[in-house]
Amino acid sequence: MSRLDARLGIWLLVAALAAAFVLLGSGLDMAYVIPRRLTRLAAIGVAGVCIGCSSVIFQTLTGNRILTPAIMGYEAVYLLFQALLILLIGTHSLILLGRHGNVWLSILLMLGYSWLLHRWLLRDGRQNVYLLLLVGLVLSLVLSTLTQFIQLKVSPGEFSILQGFNYASFNKAQPLQVAYSAVLAALACLVVRRTLPVLDVLALGRDQAIVLGVDHLRAVSVQMAVIAVLVAVSTSLIGPTAFMGVFVANLTYTLARTFRHRVTLPLASGVAMALFIVAQYLVEQAFNYNMSVNILINLVCGAYFLALMTRTRGTA
Amino acid sequence: MRPPVLVVLFAVLCGVSLMVGVGRMTWLDLAGLSEDAWLTLTASRLPRLAALVLSGAGLAVCGVVLQQIVRNRFVEPATSGGLDAAKLGILIAVSAFPGIGTAGKMLMALGVSFAASLAYVAMIRRIRFKSIVLVPVLGLMYGSVLSALAEFWAYRHQLLQSLQGWLMGDFSRIVQGNYEIIFVILPVVVLIYVFAQRLTVLGMGEGMANSLGLNYTATVTLGLLLVALTVSVTVITVGAIPFVGLVIPNLIALRYGENLQRTLPLVALCGASMLLACDILGRLLIYPFEVPIGLVAGSVGGVLFLVLLLRRST
Repeated sequence: MSRLDARLGIWLLVAALAAAFVLLGSGLDMAYVIPRRLTRLAAIGVAGVCIGCSSVIFQTLTGNRILTPAIMGYEAVYLLFQALLILLIGTHSLILLGRHGNVWLSILLMLGYSWLLHRWLLRDGRQNVYLLLLVGLVLSLVLSTLTQFIQLKVSPGEFSILQGFNYASFNKAQPLQVAYSAVLAALACLVVRRTLPVLDVLALGRDQAIVLGVDHLRAVSVQMAVIAVLVAVSTSLIGPTAFMGVFVANLTYTLARTFRHRVTLPLASGVAMALFIVAQYLVEQAFNYNMSVNILINLVCGAYFLALMTRTRGTA
Repeated sequence: MRPPVLVVLFAVLCGVSLMVGVGRMTWLDLAGLSEDAWLTLTASRLPRLAALVLSGAGLAVCGVVLQQIVRNRFVEPATSGGLDAAKLGILIAVSAFPGIGTAGKMLMALGVSFAASLAYVAMIRRIRFKSIVLVPVLGLMYGSVLSALAEFWAYRHQLLQSLQGWLMGDFSRIVQGNYEIIFVILPVVVLIYVFAQRLTVLGMGEGMANSLGLNYTATVTLGLLLVALTVSVTVITVGAIPFVGLVIPNLIALRYGENLQRTLPLVALCGASMLLACDILGRLLIYPFEVPIGLVAGSVGGVLFLVLLLRRST
């Protein structure tokens, strides 16, 4: 199978899955069922692009195949911030800031976190990957503990809003929110598109990139900013996805058999979308809504990650 | 701090723990033989103190046992899947056999937790290149797969909310009559102390242990069984408390070395002191309400863990 086939194949698969998802059992009900499903499909599309691209770019920057933004605590920071916001200004925050104000504030915060991470942990390209991974996991644990602590302090009504953030799902996707997320994601993708060749060079490592004439610090900062935006969008759309990024990125490398971002980024988005559609379909049809996409995906991707780590026997 | 200072600190913490609470109870009332005060003391405060001390000591000592077996500093029930497995066990017991008693839940949690830790040790032994941080990473991953499994099961049986309840260690439920099972930890800790020297030998690796005449497999199995027992007892009575078994043994080893026969009592003492301190903090933070100890210990212990990690790496 050539590279082109893999790319074409995944998009054919996504198209087939999308068609099945929208049409199967809909009775061609144009008034309600199909528009609702199209909204969900759009949310899946945006989330897929966000998770696929942010994971692959993050792995390029950190030079390994294990770390992803989700694992390094990005999502935990986002959720902690939402909880803090509710605690400090209460549910008024939703009115006070509006949907958009919240999004912008979150993105600013994620940019700050990106910067800190970049500053402290990723300074030296030769940092021990497993150490970073452990730090990320423990940091996520501590952050989510703090989030839970805040949840204790807020009133039951506010608590249910927070729970909504934690177990967000495609079922509740609103057209306006999806459209807004899509615009943000598209802006981020535009930046990535313009810097595709730079990303390929960054993958070679810091020293090589500098020798080849890339302003390393600046390029990495731009990419970290892109990641922050993408993660903020995906977390606000579907909540934490934990190990999904690792699964998607590794599957992409296997399928693409190249590390050129022109190939891997679209492919990763496609893989993530396919995964989401299958999971959402299972939730709707097989489990009859008595299941959540996050749980299904965490189960499958977590098991895969564990297998990946044991199979490479720690030589990665 | 010298050991006597630690003992004094522990005693002070015990005293404070007895005096903190919403119900009014002063030493004067006790001296005056006020019935209310004595009831508060015997029905709520003393059971709580006993549960705190026992689970703190038990979890800290368990951390040491696991660390010797896996030969890694950063392993403890929370970073080896033990806690999540115990939760999964209780969940299965509750949903598959409704009406099962505490003993039944306990056995189920014990079984699942023990099986999970055997699988974890087997998995770790397969890895040739053991990076000191890879082992706890695998444990955390393993734990999150187990808890995803538990969530899957809980979601199907509408038990997600109760699952989140057990997630959190919480001593406020402890009153006379529903916590006595925790005394199982007492003989376990004594037994581990008796085996202290064997554990030290275990920490030298399989080859060395065998040539020193230790039955390696039997000792490892016994150790894992004792750990699983302690973990399931604490999860059943108070819930999951992370990081105590990791932070305390590491701090003790940094200060007093690794002669287990000498340091195990200190580990137990400091484990109990840490839980007491966390519990007092949790009771005062949003007085008159309580912050579950799982949260306090999780954040305090997590931050200490990060400090230990980054300190080690530089």
